[in-house]
Amino acid sequence: MTQFIIGIDLGTTNNVLAYCETNDVSETNGAVNIQLLKIPQLVAANTLEEKPALPSFSYLAADAEAAGGALDLPWAENRNFAIGQYARSKGADTPDRTVGASKSWLCHNKVDRRAPILPWNSGDDVAKISPVTAAQQYLEHLVAAWHAAFADAPIHDQYVVLTVPASFDPVARELTREAAIAAGLPANFVLLEEPQAALYAWLNQQGDQWRKTLQVGQSVLVCDVGGGTTDLTLIAVDQNDGELELRRVAVGDHLLVGGDNMDLSTAYFVSGKLAEAGTTLDPWQSVALWHSCRAAKETLLTDDGPETHAITVLGRGSKLIGSTVSVEVNKQEVADLLLDGFFPQCELTDRPVRQSASGFQEIGLPYESDPGITRHIAAFVGAHCSGEDDSVAMPNYVLFNGGVFKANGLKQRMLKVMSAWSGDQQVSELSGGSGLDYSVATGACFYGFNQQSGGMRIRGGVGSSYYVGIETTGLAIPGAPRPLKAICVVPFGMEEGTETAVPSGEFALVVGQPAQFRFFSSNTRKEDQPGTMLDRWTEQELVETDPLVATLTLEDSDENFVPVKFRSKITELGVFELWCVAGDTEDAHRWKLEFNVRES
Amino acid sequence: MGLITATKAFCKLLFNRELSASFDQLIADEPTPKITSQQTPAAAEQPTKPTAPARSDALSLIAALQREARLLDIVTESLDGYSDAQIGAAAKEVLRDTGAVIERMFGLEPITDAADGAELETPADFDAAQFRLTGSVSGEAPFRGKVAHHGWKATKCEIPKWTGEKSSALIIAPIELEIKS
Repeated sequence: MTQFIIGIDLGTTNNVLAYCETNDVSETNGAVNIQLLKIPQLVAANTLEEKPALPSFSYLAADAEAAGGALDLPWAENRNFAIGQYARSKGADTPDRTVGASKSWLCHNKVDRRAPILPWNSGDDVAKISPVTAAQQYLEHLVAAWHAAFADAPIHDQYVVLTVPASFDPVARELTREAAIAAGLPANFVLLEEPQAALYAWLNQQGDQWRKTLQVGQSVLVCDVGGGTTDLTLIAVDQNDGELELRRVAVGDHLLVGGDNMDLSTAYFVSGKLAEAGTTLDPWQSVALWHSCRAAKETLLTDDGPETHAITVLGRGSKLIGSTVSVEVNKQEVADLLLDGFFPQCELTDRPVRQSASGFQEIGLPYESDPGITRHIAAFVGAHCSGEDDSVAMPNYVLFNGGVFKANGLKQRMLKVMSAWSGDQQVSELSGGSGLDYSVATGACFYGFNQQSGGMRIRGGVGSSYYVGIETTGLAIPGAPRPLKAICVVPFGMEEGTETAVPSGEFALVVGQPAQFRFFSSNTRKEDQPGTMLDRWTEQELVETDPLVATLTLEDSDENFVPVKFRSKITELGVFELWCVAGDTEDAHRWKLEFNVRES
Repeated sequence: MGLITATKAFCKLLFNRELSASFDQLIADEPTPKITSQQTPAAAEQPTKPTAPARSDALSLIAALQREARLLDIVTESLDGYSDAQIGAAAKEVLRDTGAVIERMFGLEPITDAADGAELETPADFDAAQFRLTGSVSGEAPFRGKVAHHGWKATKCEIPKWTGEKSSALIIAPIELEIKS
């Protein structure tokens, strides 16, 4: 029996699980009572503590360290790895054995995400794991923690909502789903985009009051800056039969820049000051410095914060006071570094600086070459709020999410820059919500509650349009590839629980052989309909991800070729499926195409 | 949780006689005598899982304070020869982190909202655990007086659970050994 609704934030740096009862009766202001699961985890060898967040780190211990059950959990004996707080602290002093940011690797299509490649660049004596396995391990830990707390309510009987970045492509979503099912989540769990979840958390906190804050024709920018990623979403306020409605109208690119970059920059700056004073830090101290820099950022970047702040790094050995070093940083220095570095003043017409790729490029994660988040926002808002007929109003509100925004000055800078874009029409913060660290999980839970109880939901469907590459027929030119066209198979905003035939000519596929199609997505081409054929496109317009493959088997047939058409489907759970269909009749043969995530 | 229950639970967990006894045994390194008379009903219900803690929560608390705040390092170091500024710089960090650990594990709250110096009257049903009466104390409750200190109470007691072997129960912080490649 479904007794609970569970929202899971599978984050790049932290995992959080929120839950509520299906029969929760609304309290005073209409908000649903949502709790956070306390997650038992190792904080040191042999030491368990319960915390509301499970850091997304996995420490792959050497055999000698794991011997004697030092890494065991109440539900797992003979463990040779650790997940959570302890693993995160090991990331500092033993990076070769620590997996971090595995989520960013899930949508990195230059590598095989089912292959054991993490920790990236570590030696062969470490038993590496794949990005999919890492996600599975975090989820298994959450599932076990749930069962430790609610033995009578198995998770596969509950209604589970799992969040993914809005910018995740269909492959990354599929891999997340694969990891989740393997970890024991129910097969009918739902995927929800993180920025939407953050907005749901705000809606739950507001109760019915939100209808007084937001007005028809306005729009909200959700700016979710995590530890390593930035995720943008634009929500419009519409009207339907006199009722206010929220509609997700655009999602941004997957940006690999986040709060950790900011704290690292400050740490780099401060360690330079320390070096001038003749002090060099060891790795352990560098992490301590990093934490101190985060605190300094939050202290200095507030309106009435102090002008200077002392950053202190304790001595490493047991002689603590003698080797403690301290350095003063002032407000202006930090503001120059972080505000101008990451939230620079810029015009709506400014665009992120794209460095031309050098001939030789390391395969590692494709970090943003331009860390100026406001410039990325300018590109995003500029593309979707152009002022043309069908475009959305310039954002009136910003909903901030992510621990970075505990530094109030960052919010103020962003609102100031965006207000200037709107001709000094004030852009305000949507304040409230349930805390910057936990709102994605609580919002996911509230979304699940609404789904079960028929409450309000943000409309929107798919946040991108999808395309399949078709090689054109015609006279072959020796040495030149056949020209490639892209046929739209899923239009922007296609609703969950619908399917569509893709109007086109028939494609001949060879029986018994794998047929492979290049696959593209776009978050800017909103007009394309199923069957729209593109001859040319820019690299920014259509982004290629992993190819789709199907092997056609056809019994009782002598034919070598099968003529097929495409049929696409978005399931109720938000999963994209593409089928090849032979014939028009009800009993037509259908083959499902699967993403091929092998190294390309 | 009521004031009294919270305070009692806190003291019970921290300074539990059984735990203290097992701690003494560890120090003496002698076999633990059976404490059959102190079996709690909860433990009796789960006969398959012996729940005798491997070490005192007090040690686990000290270990956490050292791990996260370096408290032992600073209290054991000689202050001779350091300037107040040097000590202050280090102490500021240690105090901040110590405070964070204590807050997380115990959720400290003042027992009364009354400010220092404010008038306060005890309930007629006087509880000596909640009030320390000073000055000219006479007669029966309720007592009236000025608040000299608001007192502290724990709203929770969540000490990390230690799962190691008895042989290493006295290790508070391991030797840190950096291996060069």
